[in-house]
Amino acid sequence: MKKQIIIKHIGYVFLFNGIFLFISFLISFFLKESSVLPLLFSSFLCGIFGIFPLIFVERTENLSYEEGLIIVVFGWITTCLIGILPYIMWGGEFTIANAWFESVSGFTTTGSTILNNIEALPKGLLFWRSSTHWIGGIGIILFVLLILPQARGNRISIYNTEISSLSKLNFRVKTKKIAQILAIVYLSLTVAQTTLLMVFGMNFFDAINHSFATIATGGFSTKNLSIAAYKSLNIEVIIMIFMVLSGIHFGLLYGTFTGSRENIFRSPLVRTFILVLLIGIVLVSLKLYYSGYFNWWESVRYASFQVISVGTTTGFATIDTANWPIFTQMVLIYFTIQCAMAGSTSGGLKFDRIYIFFRSLAKQMKVLKHPFGIFSTKINGKKIDEKLEEQTIVFIALYIVIFFISSTLLTFMDIDGMTAFSASITTIGNVGPGFGGVSSLGNFANLPDLAKYLLSINMLLGRLEIFTILALFTIKK
Amino acid sequence: MLLTLMLAVAGAISIIEFRWLTNSVESLIQDNYKSIEASKSMLEALEREDSGILLLMLGEWQEGTTIIQAADSSFMEALKIAENNLTEENEDKYINKIKENYTQFKENWQRPIAETDKQGNLLWYKNESHKLFANTKNAVTEIMNLNQKSMYKEASELKEKSKRAIMHGIVSILAALIFSLLLNFFITRYFVRPISQLNNAILQLQDGEYQLDVRINSNDEIKMLEKNINKLLNRIKQTS
Repeated sequence: MKKQIIIKHIGYVFLFNGIFLFISFLISFFLKESSVLPLLFSSFLCGIFGIFPLIFVERTENLSYEEGLIIVVFGWITTCLIGILPYIMWGGEFTIANAWFESVSGFTTTGSTILNNIEALPKGLLFWRSSTHWIGGIGIILFVLLILPQARGNRISIYNTEISSLSKLNFRVKTKKIAQILAIVYLSLTVAQTTLLMVFGMNFFDAINHSFATIATGGFSTKNLSIAAYKSLNIEVIIMIFMVLSGIHFGLLYGTFTGSRENIFRSPLVRTFILVLLIGIVLVSLKLYYSGYFNWWESVRYASFQVISVGTTTGFATIDTANWPIFTQMVLIYFTIQCAMAGSTSGGLKFDRIYIFFRSLAKQMKVLKHPFGIFSTKINGKKIDEKLEEQTIVFIALYIVIFFISSTLLTFMDIDGMTAFSASITTIGNVGPGFGGVSSLGNFANLPDLAKYLLSINMLLGRLEIFTILALFTIKK
Repeated sequence: MLLTLMLAVAGAISIIEFRWLTNSVESLIQDNYKSIEASKSMLEALEREDSGILLLMLGEWQEGTTIIQAADSSFMEALKIAENNLTEENEDKYINKIKENYTQFKENWQRPIAETDKQGNLLWYKNESHKLFANTKNAVTEIMNLNQKSMYKEASELKEKSKRAIMHGIVSILAALIFSLLLNFFITRYFVRPISQLNNAILQLQDGEYQLDVRINSNDEIKMLEKNINKLLNRIKQTS
């Protein structure tokens, strides 16, 4: 294993973060804010740590699978460490535990926050906070591979760990092509959403920050009241549309725009994903209306936004769901578990696994009926590899085990059941808001520091697909 | 070079933060503390004037007048300090309010009290004199509160700034530490190790061997040195 190659690639991570830190610094500088020095110093450090390995390490060496794995995991950890620099140097509500939580939540596109007063943050720091989502969303490593040609021919190993192997399920193209597709779709969606939000009355700064958070399925807002602050149906509708788009495989989105055969209209996974979201909206709306919470219109409006926000792992809010009927909360918890599609910017379990699970269940039913029959699980007429099926089931089981362990540990810290349960599932799913003490308009500030560190591990596990981190322990020196 | 630059930037940032810190402490003392002290003196003078009035009401003309006049001059002195130290928004309005109220209060005790119908007249004291005293006192308390609040705000910011200055220091020390470890790794990997490999290969060169047993992977001066030593050995081989 060539340590220098790993260090060089992590150097790219520094440089990429450095660019965004410098833009944040410029914002603070022109607005004469208190975050000028923390942002300048952070970008300076990133520049030095990024450029330095480039001077030493030669261009020719290739990447092995193990090296790719280490770069992915340590790249994420390093980027989260970079993320805390401007926070801790600025101070305010950012203690070390809070800064770490906010940074991990940003880069893993979770969107849970520890801030009581988001609006007290300087604009430069707010931009950095949203940038962490945007950087995390596309996956720094993927960006690095796209921009820098040195690793040509060795992208597949990293691609497999960064993006779920399931993403290849209905979009089979070469890795480099996928990287380009992701970047094009990602940028186009960001530009389109920013423009539309501005057309409907949001200022440029808020529009770009909310676009960063939406496309990355993150959920950080620049307002304490999240999207509720704008009191605008148009803005809510635009954000809902882009949340759904960001929850779908980006390759399929690209295929749709370019008129390819592999598009969102032909994919059974997309159809089912949208259908499940619609069922969720109907159930929540009905319960809200018949429990006398809102009138018909309001019930549908709030239910749609919350279900889509949670169902795509974004986590924006137009209302505090902590006081909603328990049935609606359970529906939202289901979406927190389900997460969005593989190949999108969402983390967590992913809808595809749930889909395979139910398909597999149907196969098992057939086997029970005809014990000697030979059956296979098919999606869109294509047979699924049995290994993938087995891996999916193991993944779901492992997901439940981790969720159970982290919830139990949280209750050990005297956190109430609902808060512990929802905080665990929302962080491992990279969703953002939970219920109880960590509801959609609440925050994670009141949790003990130890709980914040525990939940940040959950977020990283959710983002890196658990197996990636487990695989790290299997590497021989 | 980079390490020095990094430490220099961190040092400069810490110096800037500490300068801000010093300025904040100065402004805290200059701006607010001075006004708070002046307000306290005004309050004390007012209390003394009120006692003086009571003495006049008891017919103690000499003692009462002495106390009132001494208190008046200390009040005016303190008022002047506060007037010359306008640091908060609308502080001049508060000063004008104190002046207005104090003029009325002063007019009240400047008129004869002893040996008039006001002597022993508690009702006059309660309805007129004490009311004017209380109004002036309230006006002074208002300006004191304004400065106290501002001082508390400034102190909180001070705490924040000191935390920031310390954090910059800690971050730069840690960054320098990690950087020196990295530098050490790269220098060992790219300079020290190849040179020592080359050295070992030369030392282990047996009689009759004319090729170094070493593999330098880099493409720099050390690789050139390896090639040149091999060329030299070749020439020795040809001449011997």
